Amino acid sequence: MSREFKVGLFIVSTTVIILGALLYLANEKGFFTKVYTFTLSSKSGDGLTEGMPVVFSGFNIGKVNALELNDKGIVLIKIKISERHVKWIKSDSSFILYRPLIGAARIDVVTNNLNSPPLPEDKIVVVETVNDINDAIKKVQPLLDKITQIAENMEHVSSNLADPKGDLNLILGNAQKITTTLSTKKSLLEMAIADEESVKSIHEALKKIKDIVTKIDKMADKTDAQLYGKEGTLPNINTILKDIAGKLQKLDTTVDNINKISKDTSEGMKDFRMLRSDIDDAVNAIDDVVKKLDTLISSKKDPEFKLP
Amino acid sequence: MYLLENIGRLGVNSTKSVVDTFSFARKVIFRMFQPLTYNSAMRMVLVNQIYFTSVQILPVFLIVSIVLGSLLIGIVFQLLKQLGLTDYFGNVLMGLIVTELSPFFTVLFITLRSSSAINTEMAVMKVNGEIKTLETFRVDVINYLLIPRIINGIVSLVLLSSLFSIVLIISGMLFSWVIFGMSLDVYSNILLNSANFSDIVISLIKCAVFGFFITLIPIRYGLRASYEFTSIPIAVSGGMVSVFTAIIIIEVLSLVTKLF
Repeated sequence: MSREFKVGLFIVSTTVIILGALLYLANEKGFFTKVYTFTLSSKSGDGLTEGMPVVFSGFNIGKVNALELNDKGIVLIKIKISERHVKWIKSDSSFILYRPLIGAARIDVVTNNLNSPPLPEDKIVVVETVNDINDAIKKVQPLLDKITQIAENMEHVSSNLADPKGDLNLILGNAQKITTTLSTKKSLLEMAIADEESVKSIHEALKKIKDIVTKIDKMADKTDAQLYGKEGTLPNINTILKDIAGKLQKLDTTVDNINKISKDTSEGMKDFRMLRSDIDDAVNAIDDVVKKLDTLISSKKDPEFKLP
Repeated sequence: MYLLENIGRLGVNSTKSVVDTFSFARKVIFRMFQPLTYNSAMRMVLVNQIYFTSVQILPVFLIVSIVLGSLLIGIVFQLLKQLGLTDYFGNVLMGLIVTELSPFFTVLFITLRSSSAINTEMAVMKVNGEIKTLETFRVDVINYLLIPRIINGIVSLVLLSSLFSIVLIISGMLFSWVIFGMSLDVYSNILLNSANFSDIVISLIKCAVFGFFITLIPIRYGLRASYEFTSIPIAVSGGMVSVFTAIIIIEVLSLVTKLF
């Protein structure tokens, strides 16, 4: 293979690759397709730049080609849409200048009815604006006001602090006096009462209270042992109560028996009445017999009877 | 006083050098567009120059491109993922790596290998009196020696830089699949959306300008050597410093062009 052939092969193959890549890119970028130009209008050119993308449903379909200012002071925006994307631009399409807080601004195309007639190229459509930055500023404004207020308060505090006759300095002076006084006294109590004898009396009283509390504590311990100890009152009461409860249970049975007996007795009483009436009848009969006998005995001289 | 004189002398010399370089460049460009320049001898030299500068180093260049490009793409993509800037990887790949780093890496590679060689070759030819001999035989030095080397510089830079970009894009495809789990369709769509035609054209023009100056300046400095052998290293070092200065200036100018 000659040197000329190698050089020729290198140049031709590399050039073909480069030209192929460039042609592919140009084709994909729409350099060989027909481009439609539409005109939009806006009151302000703020946020508009040449080359800004025109987006439909998140896809780039064109770009802003030129910005002009007409005689009435209205900004005219010329957008270029390639032939294959022009179907998305309809007469009822709305164009929204979207300026996100982060990222590049763009013009969003919104078409609600794709069956609408196409937008004529000579018709001028007004661009609406959605501004994230301004919205964010509006939201941040109250916060900034509060921060300003806090800063003013801080400034007031710092100026007060810097002023020798200011409240804070007075407080600090008083605090210094208190600490100085405190350093000469043995305790806060002494500083508060300002009488050493009274402080001693309070100390003694506190000691006595402490002793009393100790005694009460001991008494409480003893009471606790007497009441709640193994041989304490409460366990005994518990045992007694348990015993009483057992006995009451037994008593319940006895009462039931008594009830039964009284029932039986009540039923037996009916027989008793009859028996009594029988006895009464018998006694009356006997009485009659005795009367008769007495009559007989008193009427006879020999009061002897022969029994049948 | 001496200090001011030195500063003044330096300023005057630098300005004169820049003016001379541009004057020389104008003359060369004028010759480049004349059909008579492209005679058979010139064409032979041009083929040899392209062979030595591009074809001969192609395997090494491709290996270095694959290794360096893959590392670069891998690191950048990993960094983008960690920073949560995955959405911007297309812009980074096309705007930074392909259109900026690719020409810069290629120009450094060619400068270190070929510009220094051209500079030394010209200085040695001048010292040996070969230039004078060619002129004696009424051979046009600009047409025979300069134009083929400069055209070679332009062609080689544009083609090798483009190859480097293609290697980077293929590496990007691989790494976007490995790191982001991105399919080929998504990758190509992101690249197409991020690719700016004007940026690519500026990048190609920048490569051509790089190629022009990284061969023109070494030739000029080589031809400025005296007839003493000791002037060769002086001419080479001066030429290489000027080449690197020119690279930085062109890079800055291209960035400024992109800004506007």
